[in-house]
Amino acid sequence: MALLSETAKASTVPDGAIAPTPWQRWRYRAKVASREPTTLIGILTALLFTYLIVVPIISIVLDSVRVQFGHERRLGKDFGDLTLYYLDRAFLSPVSVDLFWRPLLNTLSVALGAISLSLLIGTVLAWLISRTDMFGRRWFATALIVPYMLPAWTFALAWTTLFKNRTVGGQPGWFEAMGLTPPDWVAYGRFPIIVILALHYTPFVILLFGSALRRFDSQLEDSARILGAKRYQVAIQIILPLMRPALLSSMVLIFAKCLGEFGVPYVLGLPVKFEVLSTSLFRSIASRQTGVAGVVAASIMLIGIMTLMIDARLVREARRFVTVGSKGSMNRQSRLGKYRLPATGFAALIFLLSVGLPLLTLFLSTIMKLPAQFTLDNFTLDYWIGRDLNTVALQTGILLSPDLWAAAKNTLMIVGLASLTSGILGLFVGYVVIRTPVKALSVYLRQVTFLPYLVPGIAFAAAYLSLFAVPRGPMPALYGTVTILILALIADQMPYASRAGISAMTQLGKDPEEAAQIAGAGWFRRMISIVIPIQKGSLVTGVLLPFISGIKGLSLFVILAVPSTDVLTTYSLRLVDYHYTQAANAVVLIIAAIAYLGTLAAQKLTKTNLAEGLGS
Amino acid sequence: MPTINLSGAQKNYGVNSANAVSNLDLEIRDGEFMCLLGPSGCGKTTTLRMIAGLENLSDGEIRIGERVVDSVRAGVFIPPEKREMGLVFQSYALWPHLTIERNTDFGLRLRKLPKEEREQRVEKVMQALDIAKYRDRYPSQLSGGQQQRVALARMLAVNPGVLLLDEPLSNLDARLRLEMRAELKRIHKEFKTTIVFVTHDQWEAMTLATTIAVMNEGTLQQMGTPNDIYDRPANRFVAEFVGSPPINILTFGSSASAMSRAAAAYLGERYPSSRGVGSVGIRPEAIGYATKGGDVPAGSFTGEMTVTGVLPTGGSWILELRNDNDTLFLTTNALPRVETGSRVDFFAPSDALHVFDKDGQRIAEADALLRARTLN
Repeated sequence: MALLSETAKASTVPDGAIAPTPWQRWRYRAKVASREPTTLIGILTALLFTYLIVVPIISIVLDSVRVQFGHERRLGKDFGDLTLYYLDRAFLSPVSVDLFWRPLLNTLSVALGAISLSLLIGTVLAWLISRTDMFGRRWFATALIVPYMLPAWTFALAWTTLFKNRTVGGQPGWFEAMGLTPPDWVAYGRFPIIVILALHYTPFVILLFGSALRRFDSQLEDSARILGAKRYQVAIQIILPLMRPALLSSMVLIFAKCLGEFGVPYVLGLPVKFEVLSTSLFRSIASRQTGVAGVVAASIMLIGIMTLMIDARLVREARRFVTVGSKGSMNRQSRLGKYRLPATGFAALIFLLSVGLPLLTLFLSTIMKLPAQFTLDNFTLDYWIGRDLNTVALQTGILLSPDLWAAAKNTLMIVGLASLTSGILGLFVGYVVIRTPVKALSVYLRQVTFLPYLVPGIAFAAAYLSLFAVPRGPMPALYGTVTILILALIADQMPYASRAGISAMTQLGKDPEEAAQIAGAGWFRRMISIVIPIQKGSLVTGVLLPFISGIKGLSLFVILAVPSTDVLTTYSLRLVDYHYTQAANAVVLIIAAIAYLGTLAAQKLTKTNLAEGLGS
Repeated sequence: MPTINLSGAQKNYGVNSANAVSNLDLEIRDGEFMCLLGPSGCGKTTTLRMIAGLENLSDGEIRIGERVVDSVRAGVFIPPEKREMGLVFQSYALWPHLTIERNTDFGLRLRKLPKEEREQRVEKVMQALDIAKYRDRYPSQLSGGQQQRVALARMLAVNPGVLLLDEPLSNLDARLRLEMRAELKRIHKEFKTTIVFVTHDQWEAMTLATTIAVMNEGTLQQMGTPNDIYDRPANRFVAEFVGSPPINILTFGSSASAMSRAAAAYLGERYPSSRGVGSVGIRPEAIGYATKGGDVPAGSFTGEMTVTGVLPTGGSWILELRNDNDTLFLTTNALPRVETGSRVDFFAPSDALHVFDKDGQRIAEADALLRARTLN
């Protein structure tokens, strides 16, 4: 009975039946939050990223509706006044066709072409790699991803090396040199751009579609077979509907990537005035049409944001099917039978076209004096290590040119510093996002660091130019400095860095840290003894992956770099512009080598799969 | 450690979400081995984490002795690292980058104890838990049971005033679980620590605890000794949650079955104010049976039913009896001499009846009356 009365006591309502006042609640929450610097760090990083990410974007959007410097007289308004002139010029005026509409149409056609072609090739390859007994599946699984590790315009340069015709001056392409003049539509413009982008983005399809195929539970297939479905019926009624999210998702991602692609259309489109949105934006900036550039950049951002929102929807859709792959997911192989050899041949052909041929072409072009003359006396190492060459500029081989080393040094310094910073910031963001008791802060940080992902690099660079080209408040004008490159790179890399940080912190869970807390460790002690040592590996990834993508990145630099801050990519582009084909190709080969070896090293170091680097 | 007191403790994870814990009053006395028992999602782990300071309160107060360590209204919050408690996580949460010895040593280093004392204490606790031979290994090289012991050792090394355990045995296999239960009981005796133990396993709670607090949907249902919880469940939830096979419940009211009506009549003779009764529960082991014509003790609640199942559980048997809409389970330790289809008389003494009101709360005054009748 005594115990029963205790039960009764336990269930009596205490005197505090009325809820605590909002002030009491707020004070308590503030007390809890202020025990640790997590929230403070969160607020500081949130402010930093607002300045580095949100403000530039707002700035360029404002540029598009305000009178720009130099247009005051023409528009009869003061600098900075609101105006619809630029919108009108970009969307409605007679020149709008050249400034916006045709580039938009070209972008769409190129993207659609690239998507169709890469889906066609990619789905077949993904299926061959993940579900058949094709020869050398494992090797192909890695080899066919290589195109994505190389900068896309590597292929563009290889293409010009092969197909360049008399339309453009400089060293002729191999076919031209052999007397077969390729028509313009083969040499430049839509067709080569589509082919190259398709080859470059096929790995996307292989990775996304392939992993969906691997996770596909073969019991679902078996159930259908047992109920009497034929193989093609299984494929159409069971597999295809379940694969749809992965397919759509890779389509959307390729579209978003094509939208921001600059190097390939720049190299291949310019000779025949084939413009896409990114090159049109570049031209507007180069000709100081800041207002129009703002409109075009904002349009690119808008399209980018829309497509990636569609993608987010699709991913959510795909999550509905997650249970599909939960249990009994077996990697059953289809026997190819007599098609085994042809299938392997197909995969090998794609590898040759997308990796072997371009790299070999580029390499040969750097050791041959005259194109397409395969005689022994035509080979030379002069373009790499020669001295006193009889040329106007660049009189030494590329490896002996101080410009190359200056560019390499710049690259390492700028990209290295930016990657290191964004890697560390990424870990901080991850920590705050997962740990802060202030939910709004967590949501804001997560979203603001992801924002640059939605904005194609070239538009983002334009935004930086718009904000930092002139002194604003305490910030001096940064155009032409290393600082603006580093800041832009940091912001541009934050999506990957913060995603790496967040996923690392999610994986770690809170238990190890809470255990340390219980053991009596304060915040700094926990950071130093527990969190950072455990996260060492992911910190390395968080630095290395952005570094690799930064090294081969072009679109940010092409807008923000000046000759004194040349990096390897812009340097090679400058060489292209000067028609130093061999030197340009050599530099691109160097970049490709660094990017490829870096990716391999990152994989070895972190024991991660290539798929992890996807999207970087 | 002085008594830990939770009063009006409340936790919700969002403005619109239901309370994970509501209005909880709990007292944990020095040296007690208390089990928080309840189904998953009942708020027991949240309660434990609130005590540790890992979870903030939405309302209410936590005191250790006279000292307030957590209070929304007073704006007090002592962080976990200053509460001097030990907590063993369900996942063990060993630090993967530290050896077993460094894991055990971590808390002592933080307390800046002299090296000799640290080594001594680490040695002692590692010996006690039989993990000294793994001192240089990393957590990933140990089995689940060994990791579990390291997690315990790590907390015991700092000699906390209270040891909080969050379902620490749930990831172990049956045999290890048995061993660790004995181990925990030994530790409780040897280190004289107050232990608060969260589990959804009633047998774990029964075998280990000195006090059990049963929780459901964020509220405390009953607190008492294991026997008390089993023999005098405070409400229908506790009665049905504790015990396996579960207690037989006969619900009264307009749609009552034949057996429920019989029970109501039986109860009415002994407990005059039975109009407020909502249901009656009878534990399976309190029910006996007799084959046709066998002896039925006088004064028991009895009736005739058909055997529809004989289920051996090894050492004992569960019998399933049916009659129209009624099903009754009983357990017996003697080999049943009946088969499926036999007609039997079941019987239960009057003090085996647990009487609950229409809200499911135990009617305590009925107990005395029912027991008195049996004695007569």
